[in-house]
Amino acid sequence: MVKLVLASPIAVATQGEREIDLEFEGTLAQLFDVVSGKYGRQFHQRIFDGDGRLKRFVNVYVNGEDARYIKGLETPIPRDATVDLLPAIAGG
Amino acid sequence: MGYVRGLRCRECGAEYPPTQRTVCEACFGPLEVAYEIEAVREAFRREALATRSADLWRYRELLPVFDESSKVDLRPGFTPLRRAGNLAEALGLRDVWVKDDTVNPTNSFKDRPVAVAIAKAREWNLAAVGCASTGNLAAATAAAAAKAHLPCYVFAPASLEPGKLLLPRIYGATVVPIDGTYDDANRVALLAADRRGWGFVNINLRPYYAEGSKTLLFETWEQLGFDLPDVIVAPLGSGLLLTSLEKGIRELRELGELPEDATRLVGTQASGCAPIVRGFEAPDGRPRPVKRPETIAESLAIGDPGSGSEAIQAMRKTRGFADDPSDAEILEGQRLLAQTEGVFAEPAGGTTVATLRRAREDGRIDRDERVVLLITGNGLKAPGVWRETFPPLTPVPPTPAAVDAFLGGTGHG
Repeated sequence: MVKLVLASPIAVATQGEREIDLEFEGTLAQLFDVVSGKYGRQFHQRIFDGDGRLKRFVNVYVNGEDARYIKGLETPIPRDATVDLLPAIAGG
Repeated sequence: MGYVRGLRCRECGAEYPPTQRTVCEACFGPLEVAYEIEAVREAFRREALATRSADLWRYRELLPVFDESSKVDLRPGFTPLRRAGNLAEALGLRDVWVKDDTVNPTNSFKDRPVAVAIAKAREWNLAAVGCASTGNLAAATAAAAAKAHLPCYVFAPASLEPGKLLLPRIYGATVVPIDGTYDDANRVALLAADRRGWGFVNINLRPYYAEGSKTLLFETWEQLGFDLPDVIVAPLGSGLLLTSLEKGIRELRELGELPEDATRLVGTQASGCAPIVRGFEAPDGRPRPVKRPETIAESLAIGDPGSGSEAIQAMRKTRGFADDPSDAEILEGQRLLAQTEGVFAEPAGGTTVATLRRAREDGRIDRDERVVLLITGNGLKAPGVWRETFPPLTPVPPTPAAVDAFLGGTGHG
């Protein structure tokens, strides 16, 4: 089971759901397609910019590792992964 | 609500009431506090400032605290602006000043943003406070929390200098020593604050926290006789300090206190962790995250800077620049500042001196320009960086002969 965890400010994209369990295995891009299927276009519009890239204000971590340091949207998501979506504007 | 109009997204311009809100709901961009500038202008007068308390609250119209009783009385701010004639001479400059925030209550500039954030946590009756820290913020948050009778949780890399992990514990905070980088600590702190409803000063209180830092700019302006220098050199960690300085300039300009092109903002970070400098050099102006920071300037070791893009915009907008000296240059900068001005800075301060030296040598800063260095943390917090330069002393026997042998020169008769 993949666990998708959204920080409260990001959870507006999933109608307030902060933890979502999904039977899934594939890439990060494919995971987001599945989540968009569940929560509608609003999820995609809030997470991605007009060029189809992740918004720079959203950080994605796969099992605690920043997806940018792995393969970005092509990062493999194993079936037991935890994926965190957190606001990038934090810290310092 | 005092003089506060609300929160405004720097990215898309959306406006919100001044409640506890972390980022823009529409685009997740950074929020900043907006003020009723016309009303501020009535009260924020030069002659009135002169009679006020010698701390950061003297700029109260431009700080977003509504309830006076929520303020914690540690009195940070209004630190000395020291004329640094010896340093200027050593570097071939004419007019250099040091804004000395080593003397704040917990010996870094972090007491400023924390003062505002803790006041907001008290206004909102939050059950606990905390932070993710590279060291200085840990002590600042813990001390203010102690005075406010609030539980405090500090998330920091376990590898920090021992003193930086010890201080918050002395103030009564719980330190969560993370086996990882600052960015790891920040990530798990964000999740912990989110789930437990705690107020983490640099995470979910961040729009208010940021306001405290701009008082460095207001003080510099007031202490220079209501004038700003040609150049301000500030260290860059997350980029939030420099972003806040630019906001301070913008607000003074809106009040009619500054001319159009006032001051160049120069940002500096160590070459072993320079995501903002690399972004400044790139056409897209986006930071280039660093997975494993490698530098002695651990207070600046943030690989994924939350306000990096905004800091780059601020440096470009003010015609400043970004620079990244090496660790060796930073140490030399610390030593030069200590030995010319008697001010002992932590490596972040050495970084500003190193950049001033480099910029003077290659012409990015002219010898006739007035420069202010922001010295944001005390060197006593990071003694470990000196181990190689100053190895332990060998004890001298308590006899005149031994002292003569140690010092050389004339023997006693």
